[in-house]
Amino acid sequence: MSNVTHQFAGYTAVEDVSLSVSQGRFVSVVGPSGCGKSTVLSIAAGLLAPTSGSVDVLGNRLEGINRRAAYMFQQDALLPWKTVLANITLGLEFRGMAVEAARGPALEWVRRAGLEGFENHYPHQLSGGMRKRVAMAQTWIVDPDIVLMDEPFGALDVHTRLRMESEILGLWSGSGKTVLFVTHDLEEAVALSDEVVVLSAGPASRVVGSYAVDLPRPRNLIDIRTDPEFNRIYTAIWRHLRTEVLKSYAS
Amino acid sequence: MRAKPSRAPMILWQGLLGAAFLLFWQAGASLGILDKFFFSRPGDIAARVWQLFAAGTVWSHLAVTLLEAALSFGIGVASGILAGFVLARNHFLAALFDPYIRVANALPRVVLAPIFLLWFGLGIWSKVALGVTVVFFIVFFNTFQGVREVDPVIVNNARMLGATERQLIRHVLIPSALTWIFSSLHISIGFAIIAVVVGEYLGASRGIGYLIAQAEGVFDTTGVFAGMAILAAVVLLVGWGVDRLERALLRWKPRAAASREVA
Repeated sequence: MSNVTHQFAGYTAVEDVSLSVSQGRFVSVVGPSGCGKSTVLSIAAGLLAPTSGSVDVLGNRLEGINRRAAYMFQQDALLPWKTVLANITLGLEFRGMAVEAARGPALEWVRRAGLEGFENHYPHQLSGGMRKRVAMAQTWIVDPDIVLMDEPFGALDVHTRLRMESEILGLWSGSGKTVLFVTHDLEEAVALSDEVVVLSAGPASRVVGSYAVDLPRPRNLIDIRTDPEFNRIYTAIWRHLRTEVLKSYAS
Repeated sequence: MRAKPSRAPMILWQGLLGAAFLLFWQAGASLGILDKFFFSRPGDIAARVWQLFAAGTVWSHLAVTLLEAALSFGIGVASGILAGFVLARNHFLAALFDPYIRVANALPRVVLAPIFLLWFGLGIWSKVALGVTVVFFIVFFNTFQGVREVDPVIVNNARMLGATERQLIRHVLIPSALTWIFSSLHISIGFAIIAVVVGEYLGASRGIGYLIAQAEGVFDTTGVFAGMAILAAVVLLVGWGVDRLERALLRWKPRAAASREVA
């Protein structure tokens, strides 16, 4: 993504953002609330066309929807009129697979997401954590090269969140997929990522820093937060992020 | 579904209210407080309804009215959903037609009845035309709204999962608009019947509206009330059918139609 600027009706959300994510890396974007993190993600997904600048995906200029990417939304994005199984099958169905043929892989993902016995439930009958599992299966089943996640676990309680984070790491490690993860929670960002990118306070936010997180993998998310190296990296990024957060308070 | 503890007693109370109303009416008319000529009596009306069905004369009229209502409902719903979808997906057309739709909808439908009589004659089609003008707008506005108010996050999710425009319509827009469309069906089924009856009342040779007009012409209040009773029963029955259909199709909704349950 190079020199991307996006404006909404005169309001500049992000300005001149350049961001490059190498294949197979887990990169988080952090920044104060309202700094345009989600905008960056939507542009990478092709859901928003940038006012200026361009996005390149695996060597090709992005136009329209990013077909190599899957997107996990912050909000509930499941189709409420479809059962768990039908929701998970959807991506394969849209790619032209017959429903019967897609059933096998979908059931496999039901199992991987720990949703056995809930195949025929509707989303409103599930807890928030289970709905996230369905969303996870729904996005990962299409085997995307890139996974875009927009604070996917923001609405979950701490314990459910920790479990989901571990599961995402489990899915990702060794898969070779590229992850762009947006969050306002620096701890989460450091714990999961290879690299943390800091956006400045909005409006017209830009990339103001990029930090490598070279903690060894696989990581144990339960204990990593007490690791001295984790704390060193966290503190370094937080010093930077803090000034941006204070700026966003001031405006 | 009927776990609510207050439900059974409420049916009792509702029944009592209706019975009391009929009893006072009957008594009032029998004792001369209400003029029998203008108000008739529930007993007489019930007897007349029975007589109409027993003699079999009402069936052909009922069939005509229901046929007209069904045709205007079918044509109105189909065209309303189609127009609603097209305009909701096409902002240019929506803006273009907006003032004309407003004008057309502002027109009281009853004034169209005479013109339809001239255009389509005394047969069923003048009534169907009247019914369609009523049903169309109700369904159109609801469909339009329903498609416009689809959660953008769900649309984006489907697009990211690779949905084409057609798949988007089928898997997202139609199911989402169904809630709105169904709420319009409830209203429009009743209005369709009312519209065709008004049409019959104003000029026809058959139908329940015609029966009522005939009875009114000879100051037969009992006949008018009997026609009304039959109409009300038919509208309730059809509404119940729509309810059942809705509950089957909107199974995914939390608390679907629970508040509008029909015993």
